[in-house]
Amino acid sequence: MSPSPRPGGGQAAVRALQAALMAENTAVYGYGVAGAHFAGARRAAAVRDWVAHENARDTLTAMLTARGGRPVAAAAAYALPFGVHNAATAVSLAALLEDRVAAVYLGLVALSEPSLREFGAAGVRTAALRAAAWRGSTLAFPGFDVAPPSAPGTAARTTHS
Amino acid sequence: MGDGTPPRRSARAEARVVQEATRRRVLIATAAALPLVIGGCKGVGALGTPPKPAADVAVTRDAMTLESTLIARYGAVLTAMPSLAGELSPLLAQHHDHLARLRARLIIPRTGAQPSASPSGTPSPRPAPVPGTRAGALAYLRDAENAAAASLLAHLDAAPPSLAQLLASISASEATHALVLGQGRHR
Repeated sequence: MSPSPRPGGGQAAVRALQAALMAENTAVYGYGVAGAHFAGARRAAAVRDWVAHENARDTLTAMLTARGGRPVAAAAAYALPFGVHNAATAVSLAALLEDRVAAVYLGLVALSEPSLREFGAAGVRTAALRAAAWRGSTLAFPGFDVAPPSAPGTAARTTHS
Repeated sequence: MGDGTPPRRSARAEARVVQEATRRRVLIATAAALPLVIGGCKGVGALGTPPKPAADVAVTRDAMTLESTLIARYGAVLTAMPSLAGELSPLLAQHHDHLARLRARLIIPRTGAQPSASPSGTPSPRPAPVPGTRAGALAYLRDAENAAAASLLAHLDAAPPSLAQLLASISASEATHALVLGQGRHR
């Protein structure tokens, strides 16, 4: 019983927002895993970023609902791209999660609606800033050339037990 | 590996040279014929009037000018303070990547279309003077990065989707440069 999508690329917008929501759900989960390996300042940073992704998830959920979309539900667990056993791999995971979040927000920038383009550009920017803070270095093209997040259960190596 | 190998190989090489030359001639002939074919499809008028540049060309050129200005500023700082090369070189290299990716979107006609306007892709003529201290120089670059990041987003709505994405990505990259220049805070 969802209302018909808005004229002017409504379907594409909903698809792109859903992709962003999925990436945010994955990030919320991933920060939970990564945060367990941190202490002190890094733990505080991870908590801050985790909250930021929760807020983004809520924003996207509201935007999708307003457009008649049905927000994708978060999975109970997500496959991780590599084993996270210590602080170093946890940092790598955080940076990768942010790269993927940047990529999906870049998808919003390709839409025709100016407000979604701006929203997407802001999302790319904040994700790139968080990625750079974790990685300690910068990328020339945040959001480009990023491996897409794998669907739950399809990652090459899963480390959950 | 027989005795006759060297002469045979050279003969083959010769044949290849001839073949190559012939192929090149064919290619040249094809290239020459191409405008006629296209012209034939669109009518005679298509040959005479060059198409006017699309809006995205102007946006791309503006972005290239921004990148060139940043590159010039990094160059000025590095000239004044070579000791910063270790920190600045990776960032400068990324600006060259930005410029190259933008330039790749253009097929720049060398027909003197805009002779007086500042040619895109060349360093800006007058970068502001570099502050004398290390902190001042880093702040100078940080301000330039932030300004460029904002300017790139100002073009967002005028751009076709793929260019809008490139602008947003480069803008985000420059925001991260400003972060790194700000405090080098690592987690």
